Amino acid sequence: MAAGGPSVFLLMVNGQVESAQFPEFDNLYCKYCFVYGQDWAPTAGLEEGISQITSKSRDACHALVWNFPIDITFKSTNPFGWPQIVLSVYGPDVFGNDVVRGYGAVHVPFSPGRHKRTIPMFVPESTSKLQKFTSWFMGRRPEYTDPKVVAQGEGREAQPS
Amino acid sequence: MNPREEKVKIITEEFIENDEDANVGKRKKNSKVQRQPRKKQPPTTGPDKMVSEESHLGNQQEPAQDKPQTRLLSVTARRGPRSLPPIPSASRIGFAEFSMRERMREKLQAARSKAESALLQEIPTPRPRRLRSPSVKELETEFGTESGKEVGSTQQEDDSQSYSRVKFHVSARKIKSKPQVPPGFPSAEEAYNFFTFTFDPEPEEAEEKPKHQDGTNQEEEEGEEEPPAQEGANRMDEEELPHGKDAENFLLGLDHTANEFLAVRPADYESVHVRLQREKEMLFIPSRLTVPTYKKLPENVQPRFLEDEGLYIGERPEVARTNQNIMENRLLTQEPGRRWFGDDGRILALPNPIKPFPSRPPVLTQEQSIKTELETLYKKAVKYVHRSQHMIGSGDPSGNFQLDIDISGLIFTHHPCFSREHVLAAKLAQLYDQYLARHQRNKAKFLTDKLQALRNAVQTGLNPEKPHQSLDMIQKTINEYKSEIRQTRKLRDAEQERDRTLLKTIIKVWKEMKSLREFQRFTNTPLKLVLRKEKVDQKADEEAYEAEIQAEISELLEEHTEEYEQKMEEYRTSYQQWKAWKKAQRAKKKKKKQATEEHPEEETEEPYPEEDPVKPTPPEPTDQAAIEQQVRERAAQSRRRPGEPTLLPELSLAGSVTPNDQCPRAEVWRREDVKRRSVYLKVLFNNKEVSRTVSRQLGTDFRVHFGQIFNLQIFNWPESLTLQVYETVGHSSPTLLAEVFLPIPETTVVTGRAPIEEVEFSSNQHVTLDHEGVGSGVPFSFEADGSNQLILMTSGKVSHSVAWAVGENGIPLIPPLSQQNIGFRSALKRADAISSIGTSGVTDMKKLAKWAAESKLDPNDPNNGPLMQLISVATSGESYVPDFFRLEQLQQEFNFVSDEELNRSKRFRLLHLRSQQVPEFRNYKQIPIYDREIMEKVFQDYEKRLRDRNVIETKDHIDTHRAVVAKYLQQVRESVINRFLIAKHHFLLADLVVEEEVPNISILGLNLFKLAEQKRPLRPRRKGRKKVTAQNLSDGDIKLLVNIIRAYDLPVRKPTASKFQQPSRSSRTFREKHAASPDTRSPTHSADYPLGQVLVRPFVEVSFQRTICHTTTAEGPNPSWNEELELPFRAPNGDYSTASLQSVKDVVFINIFDEVLYDVLEDDRERGNGIHTRIERHWLGCVKIPFSTIYFQARIDGTFKIDIPPVLLGYSKEQNMIIERDFDSVRSLSEGSYITLFITIEPQLVPGESVREKQFLDLLAGDEEEHAVLLCNYFLFLGKKAWLVIGNAIPEGPTAYVLTWEKSHYFIWNPCSGHFYGQFDTFCPLKNVGCLIGPDNIWFNIQQYDSPLRINFDVTKPKLWKSFFSRSLPYPGLSSIQPEELIYQNTDKVAAAELQDRIEKILKEKIMDWRPRHLTRWNRYCTSTLRHFLPLLESSQGEDVEDEHRAELLKQLGDYRFSGFPLHMPYSELKPLIDAVYSTGVHNIDVPNVEFALAVYIHPYPKNVLSVWIYVASLIRNR
Repeated sequence: MAAGGPSVFLLMVNGQVESAQFPEFDNLYCKYCFVYGQDWAPTAGLEEGISQITSKSRDACHALVWNFPIDITFKSTNPFGWPQIVLSVYGPDVFGNDVVRGYGAVHVPFSPGRHKRTIPMFVPESTSKLQKFTSWFMGRRPEYTDPKVVAQGEGREAQPS
Repeated sequence: MNPREEKVKIITEEFIENDEDANVGKRKKNSKVQRQPRKKQPPTTGPDKMVSEESHLGNQQEPAQDKPQTRLLSVTARRGPRSLPPIPSASRIGFAEFSMRERMREKLQAARSKAESALLQEIPTPRPRRLRSPSVKELETEFGTESGKEVGSTQQEDDSQSYSRVKFHVSARKIKSKPQVPPGFPSAEEAYNFFTFTFDPEPEEAEEKPKHQDGTNQEEEEGEEEPPAQEGANRMDEEELPHGKDAENFLLGLDHTANEFLAVRPADYESVHVRLQREKEMLFIPSRLTVPTYKKLPENVQPRFLEDEGLYIGERPEVARTNQNIMENRLLTQEPGRRWFGDDGRILALPNPIKPFPSRPPVLTQEQSIKTELETLYKKAVKYVHRSQHMIGSGDPSGNFQLDIDISGLIFTHHPCFSREHVLAAKLAQLYDQYLARHQRNKAKFLTDKLQALRNAVQTGLNPEKPHQSLDMIQKTINEYKSEIRQTRKLRDAEQERDRTLLKTIIKVWKEMKSLREFQRFTNTPLKLVLRKEKVDQKADEEAYEAEIQAEISELLEEHTEEYEQKMEEYRTSYQQWKAWKKAQRAKKKKKKQATEEHPEEETEEPYPEEDPVKPTPPEPTDQAAIEQQVRERAAQSRRRPGEPTLLPELSLAGSVTPNDQCPRAEVWRREDVKRRSVYLKVLFNNKEVSRTVSRQLGTDFRVHFGQIFNLQIFNWPESLTLQVYETVGHSSPTLLAEVFLPIPETTVVTGRAPIEEVEFSSNQHVTLDHEGVGSGVPFSFEADGSNQLILMTSGKVSHSVAWAVGENGIPLIPPLSQQNIGFRSALKRADAISSIGTSGVTDMKKLAKWAAESKLDPNDPNNGPLMQLISVATSGESYVPDFFRLEQLQQEFNFVSDEELNRSKRFRLLHLRSQQVPEFRNYKQIPIYDREIMEKVFQDYEKRLRDRNVIETKDHIDTHRAVVAKYLQQVRESVINRFLIAKHHFLLADLVVEEEVPNISILGLNLFKLAEQKRPLRPRRKGRKKVTAQNLSDGDIKLLVNIIRAYDLPVRKPTASKFQQPSRSSRTFREKHAASPDTRSPTHSADYPLGQVLVRPFVEVSFQRTICHTTTAEGPNPSWNEELELPFRAPNGDYSTASLQSVKDVVFINIFDEVLYDVLEDDRERGNGIHTRIERHWLGCVKIPFSTIYFQARIDGTFKIDIPPVLLGYSKEQNMIIERDFDSVRSLSEGSYITLFITIEPQLVPGESVREKQFLDLLAGDEEEHAVLLCNYFLFLGKKAWLVIGNAIPEGPTAYVLTWEKSHYFIWNPCSGHFYGQFDTFCPLKNVGCLIGPDNIWFNIQQYDSPLRINFDVTKPKLWKSFFSRSLPYPGLSSIQPEELIYQNTDKVAAAELQDRIEKILKEKIMDWRPRHLTRWNRYCTSTLRHFLPLLESSQGEDVEDEHRAELLKQLGDYRFSGFPLHMPYSELKPLIDAVYSTGVHNIDVPNVEFALAVYIHPYPKNVLSVWIYVASLIRNR
């Protein structure tokens, strides 16, 4: 805290994207970014990152290991808008096109200490079977306009249809 | 091994087991028979075989119930040894036997069906039939365990039974007559044996015997489970079993044909009847008949239906009626059968545990295999926390709480050991208690007093002492009083009577007791009643009595007279009615008589009139004597007679109890029995015993003193607290007398403050004693003849107190209230019953009740208790139903500060405003943690805006009309922003998910084609830049790239005449300008410049958001820079959201300057040593491009006309260039200077979706479409051919232009600037044309091209233009929404002049502000000259005035070097004017002796349209 400056609290995040389980896919890489509220600002570290491509391990669990480090420090004045890490995993499909394999988000743990989080990943579905086929065929699966939407609730309300 | 054999063996083994279990004695019984097979046993056979043989015989006496238990076990256990390899010959014979057996079976089948059908017919009445059917089922099951085949067959027969009953009636008779084994059967066997084996005639007999033995044996076994009725059929069934057995025996016998082992005996046959008889003795077959209820209940007990009494009984599980009957019958015959039956005579049953809905795991889809579902999951062991939801403070270390239960004693109000005297004593004590209570309350006295008071009130009310009250009122109050008196009197009479009867009963009981004591000649109880007499003054008493009676009589009389009057009135009216009716009747009759004479047939029509009103009887007048009689009678009954002494009973325990030795024996026994009895209490907490009191002997007074305090350290919230009263007689086991439920104390009740309370209990036990004790639950009588019987149940009272303990430091050890609420549901339920069904605060009780009725809530279910109570209370209307609805009733809990305090917090306010998206705070980042860190000034702008919302500020806007407009615009903008912000939160799928469109065939085909395409990685392709969503951007991320390529036709300098001090010449030069060719001028031109400079040295300066960048200086009027300038972009408030970017109002100014070098050397002598030059820059013109245009267009690429002021002092257009480029005559129309630019944003931003935003930006001054419509209408009014062009232009984007047809040329007009271009003008900003709108039709461009250069504007050609209104859809003659005529008011010229002055003043101030380090001098002379000149420019529109103007200026300001220009703008606001002046950079001149001149002219046009001219100039005095 700088003398005379506004009071803030700091949140230091250290960790890594360890591994993933994508039973059907191989050669994946992942991206991460953070979503945080208005009262938050990163002070140090990388806000975004993209990992190496990893192959499935040969053992029984077939984990995709990245061990991709995360290191970021936030300052904030308000716990509202606590940072969330957004992960998106990409990999080649049958035709070699780079397609998204999963999105997921989780809050940075609220308590200090070592935490392990398992994030369920998901991808948006095509709106119709035909679209599903063509998107598969063209290698242009539906994607989010911005991976950060998975950490936001806006526009995902249940709507009467 | 043959399966058949195996089966047989299994059966034999069962008997082995049985045999082993059975007594040896049993075996002895038929030792003879046993011996025989043993002899027959060959030595080679295994030991188990031998045993098996034994078993056959031993089993005959086996009890039936043993068998099913042992069966299964024995089979499995013995399987091992049994599967020893068989004797070699066995298999062969087995095989041979097999075919034989098949034959036999066929035969058997036939016989069996016959027999069965016959048997079925035997049953004449439906009853036996019903009896039999379960046995058939049993048979099935029994066989099921043995052999599948046989089950099949029997089942078949079962089925056939149902319909073939009648058919085989006759044959059944036949069979029945000879129930023995069919005679042919053994013969077949014999034959078989005969043909299969070779043996002596003797074994034939021997063979028969085992067969018979076996046969009976088997029959016995089977019969054990079979009902006798089925016997015949079963016998047939079993025929094949003995057969198998038989064969085995043969086998064994065959190997060793040792005849000497065999004893020859006649066939041992037992008649079926005998056997049935025997079986009947042994077997029990429960009946299927319904058991009458009285059998199931103890004698003389009526069935009691708890449900009818309103107690909750859960839903019983469903069991078939017959099964229930069987079970009941079975239970009844068992020893303690009745304990299985409840009070209602039904078998006790817990509520149905089956859930009404299935909770099965979801049905597997085909994709998932069952394996995955069945996989075992490892779960770490979790410490079981008992009923955590009811736990108090599970995470709380101080979670022990203490409940103190003080049990002081027990008093029996009735006990089986009560003697008759005790019963009376108890009654007396109870009555006395009642008396005491009544006496204390003394209601009679109170009511008497009240009556007196009322009477007094009536008296005073009747007195006319109060004239101020109206008579009506008095009458009314008196009536009220009177009715009250009546009521009170009735009440008092009742009370008095009750008092009196109570007293009488007490005395009566006491008398009874005394007589009993006398009768039995001993005393059991120390009770003694003393009646204390209180003397009263006879005379006064009598008087009072009389007075009371008189008062009452008078009152009653009054009432009666009133009543009489009323009745009289009624009578009169009814009498009148009757009379009238009578009259009418008489008249009718008369009429009728006449009528009947005329129409006799109609006589019968009205034989009975509607209702014959009975003649009313007058009411009887009141009889005063009768009333008096009545009153006196009643008084005598309920009141103390006058003079009679008041009786005050006093009960004491002063009496003595007769000692044992003086009592009769029965009494002594009773007393001894009492002594043997002791009582203790168990304390149950949440239905678990936690402690018990010591066992205390019962006292002779049936009081037990415990005086024990139990401290319960509790962990769970108490749900129930129960005391169980146990009584022990002698050394027998204690019996539960009764349960006492104690209420859980309120949290305010703590130890020391809790009062001792008494809780009554009663037991329903029935005790009859053989001594003086009256027993309980049994009738007894006080009378000698046994009449007037009484039944008393054991009952009593427990005195106790329950309280929360107080801890060491005085803190009560009570679980906190909050935990009760959260952790314990029923505690919450108590507070809000509805919360138990998941909602709370429901106030519509009627609906709730309706719902409860509809959903069939069981009102007796304890779970629904609170709800039901609530409903009953609510529907009865007694409860208080609040007339408000609490939305968040728990809100109060979360209010950690008061609202005022919260509102005072600056931080909260800031957060609140931000979340409301108030523009000032929408993007406020890092709201400080502490209030003290928030500056007050943060709110200033916002507050000011709020204040000014409705105040029109004239300061900024000068002109009031504009101010109003500006305000309006501001409001429109705000509302649009707000709407946009709301719209921003409504996302469509497309906003979130990028999804490829379903490709059409052509794209698909193209893609397929692409697949076949050769891959050439080295061929570079232009790739679209990646678009960035403007969300995660920050300052400095976005840059504006401006690529200045080149410019055309810039103005060039003119030799300034001032330099030469020759006004005449300069004027000549001006004259020359038009006449002389440029070639002649050029030499002079070059000679003008001292430093040999070229015509012009232009450079471009781009300013954006007050950041300035400029290019290098190029030379010549057609310079080429080809430079890229990079300007940082800052979004307002650092908000890079789409909405914010769209509202950026900043403009990119691209200014073209001429760099002029001046020699500043003052002394010519120093010229050789150095060069001292001063750079001056002269503004030539500018291009303005709003940022929003760049943002929406993503890039701007093209050639733009430079906005050059009409007069540029010292500069002129290079005419020659234009003439040289004389390629088109039209071209000259749009002469001017041009600049080629490329502008973009890096990185490329995704433009917002909403175009409305842009529209609103344009709304600042009305948008292009409006301008275009207006302009088009002008043209049309002038009779020109004009169309509206909708298309894309640079830099506007999608816009509207106007197209006119003039002199065989098309002109394109920019409606905003008023510029016009020829169709083939390359610099025309309109780049493509989408549609044309004429006064009566709309045409869409369907040509190959859309550039105005290449299209044909001839709308009559249908191939090129598709018209909207055609023959199929004719023009309907739409009326215009515009007013027919526009009325232009003249603008107030005075106001315009005033505005002009103010603008001039403000601009001057601004220029001085911009030059903070320099002195700014204003040349007034020059200013006034310029001011005079500006109207001229307005009137001539800047055409052809330059030279004259210049000449004039030169003439007036001869010795000044002058650079300046007029700016011409439409007036909307002040800020654009200031910006325009600033962008010219006039103020940047820092020559020490510079002077400035600034003139403003406003030309007012009608409708408040103002044209502003600003003339800015800088002057440097030439020395």
